[in-house]
Amino acid sequence: MKVTAQPSADTLTLLLDGELDASSAIVLDTELAKPDILEYRKVLIDCAKLSYISSAGLGVFISHLQRFQDANVKLVFFNMQEKVFNVFEILGLDALMTIVPSATEAEAA
Amino acid sequence: MLSALSHSGAGPWLGTWPEWATQLAQGVFVLSIFLYYRYRPTPLEGQAFVRLLRQLLMGPGLLALACVGLHLLERLAKDQPVFGSNSLFFSSVYTLNLGLFVIFLARTNYAWRALVLFRSSARLQREWTVFEILLGATLLFRLGGINPPGYIGIPIVVGLGLYGIYLSGHQKWVAYLSQREKWRAVLLQAGLLLGVLIFVQYFRLTQADPQLIAPQPQHAFLLLTAFFSAFYALMGLLVTFFNLPIADIIEQRRNEILRLQRLTQIIQRGQTSVEVYHILLESAVQTVQADAAWLDLDPSHARVDVNEATFYFNLMPDQAGELRERLGENNLPEGDFITNDLQLRPGFVGSPQRFRSLLQLPMRGLHYNYGMLYLLKIEPHTFDREDLNILQTFTSQAVLSIENLELVRTSLENQRTQEELKIASQVQESLIPKNLPTDNWFEISSHSLAAKEVGGDFYDFLHLPGRRLAVIIGDVSGKGVTAAFHMAQMKGIFHSLMQENPLAKNERDKFPAPSKFMAQANAALVHCLEKSSFITSSLYIIDYEQGGFVYARAGHCHTLYYHALREEVFYFDSAGLGLGIIRNESYEKHIKNQFYDYSPGDVMVIYTDGIVEARGEGGAEYGEDRLKLRLEESYFQSAEDIKSFILADLNAFTYGYPIHDDQTLLVIKFKSAQPLPLP
Repeated sequence: MKVTAQPSADTLTLLLDGELDASSAIVLDTELAKPDILEYRKVLIDCAKLSYISSAGLGVFISHLQRFQDANVKLVFFNMQEKVFNVFEILGLDALMTIVPSATEAEAA
Repeated sequence: MLSALSHSGAGPWLGTWPEWATQLAQGVFVLSIFLYYRYRPTPLEGQAFVRLLRQLLMGPGLLALACVGLHLLERLAKDQPVFGSNSLFFSSVYTLNLGLFVIFLARTNYAWRALVLFRSSARLQREWTVFEILLGATLLFRLGGINPPGYIGIPIVVGLGLYGIYLSGHQKWVAYLSQREKWRAVLLQAGLLLGVLIFVQYFRLTQADPQLIAPQPQHAFLLLTAFFSAFYALMGLLVTFFNLPIADIIEQRRNEILRLQRLTQIIQRGQTSVEVYHILLESAVQTVQADAAWLDLDPSHARVDVNEATFYFNLMPDQAGELRERLGENNLPEGDFITNDLQLRPGFVGSPQRFRSLLQLPMRGLHYNYGMLYLLKIEPHTFDREDLNILQTFTSQAVLSIENLELVRTSLENQRTQEELKIASQVQESLIPKNLPTDNWFEISSHSLAAKEVGGDFYDFLHLPGRRLAVIIGDVSGKGVTAAFHMAQMKGIFHSLMQENPLAKNERDKFPAPSKFMAQANAALVHCLEKSSFITSSLYIIDYEQGGFVYARAGHCHTLYYHALREEVFYFDSAGLGLGIIRNESYEKHIKNQFYDYSPGDVMVIYTDGIVEARGEGGAEYGEDRLKLRLEESYFQSAEDIKSFILADLNAFTYGYPIHDDQTLLVIKFKSAQPLPLP
């Protein structure tokens, strides 16, 4: 699992590459827990190369969800593979988080 | 013996005995004495060499004194013709002395045998036997009346003498004596030599005496054994004597080995680390004969109390503190280090401390240093690399013991943890319903398997009044002990919320509807779930009288369903958020009740993601599609058989790959109602 951060003016894009499971969840958690992340208006998660997400991986997003909402930072997922989207959907997260098909829509969101 | 010899002394009242009889008696006596000692158990017990020598001197050695005493007595008697014939008395004394001499020689010889053969090779043992046989053969010279001419006899005797000299070279035992024992051995051997000399001198004197009427003794044999006894004693004395200067070095090496053995034995006895450090310090001090020493330990690794992290020998803590400070200020190397002119080192010039030599040695472990050993001597130039090498062996041995103790401790702890996990596993096992509900309108079959000792999956059943059945399944995110705790909580929440509400107006409202249940459970879990954890769950309340069920899915895997009338297998599609994700009232908006009417023959497959996400070859997941196919192939079977069929396929798929997540599978098959059997 590799997490690459690409900051721009008011947007931070995080590229996830690999499998997001219990061991790699820590890497992502460290990234999302940084205090200055709340200074962005939007945090985009590029899931193009995310091949698998476990419940521990979902837990990372869930644990930061409220914090992002409180700070008025939008969390947007895009380029999600069907299998990964399925996991979000089963858990009911699709109704709770913004998941869009592509980068263009993510930037517009 | 006595008779034979005294007879030859011509006592008038005994008549004259032939000389050959005396010779024979003498020969038999000598042979029997030698054989007697030959077959006695070896006089050497273990490595008690000094004891052997002392016994030799105290026993046969005193015989020499007896010989002298008799001789003096005889001298006295010479001038007082108390006895009828001086000659007779003289001969008796001579014969007695000869007998004593033979005993003395036999004992000495066989004591020497024990020493010669100490740690000997098989070859040497054969050589010794040959020596004995050859010596025995010389007895025959006299017995057989053979008196070989000088040119044959002398070379034989000289040859055997040389053989004896050769055997006398085997003095290995000397190496095993301590310095003190060596001194004693020298004295004892000198005493023995004196004994031999006394005898020899006596016989030399008496031989020339005209009064002696006794026949010649077994000349060659006695000469040779006497020579061997004396020469071996002499050699031993010399070897021991010249060994004395190096005795302390040999002894020191021996002590080093003994101390090392002691350290090694401590490991096996499983003593405490403090004892190991004590013995290390003590052994180190004794080995290099240090005047003072101290051992600084690192409390974070060395398994000692912070207050007990320093061990002192012959040194006050403040003295050690001062030295430590001076050493620290002068940037001495961190590893092993010797200085033999401490007083000249910068920082030590003019220091009031009295030590001139210092040896510093770290206790290196596999991963970290346990501490530092410091040894001090007052004299300068007293430590060398050799000391360092042997001390290094000591410290490594000590570190080994400490690490071993640590290993034993951890393994005990692990064992305890394992035991507790086993108990946890048993407790959890008891939380899973053993007796599945039975009725004539449905069949239930269940399977559950935890990836670790304990897991986060759960399911439960509850009969409600009016032929209703509540079925719950859940999965706590994560695995292991944390998940198991939440699973137990969830079971508690299930049973406390599914209580009859006596205030309910409507019969149907006496128990919470599934969505209500989920909302209440979510509110309860806010207080016990950590932020990144969540629980997925589905609750079904099946009502036989209505022929339908109501359910709510809180983020749990979609239920697989076989519709008997439509002959179709499909997944229920409904929305619903997992528990613990939204931690406020708004959760209610994310959960809904779904109603469904069933017909007899319908099959419901409820499972956790451990089933569909089970991994097989190449990391492939088992998947919902494959599960669906299996139900399409087996829906007509009993609930138990459908479950077995699916599990067999799952096991074939994951064969050879570890289980990553807890697996739970419930199969419920609805049946057309059969009348209840009459009681």
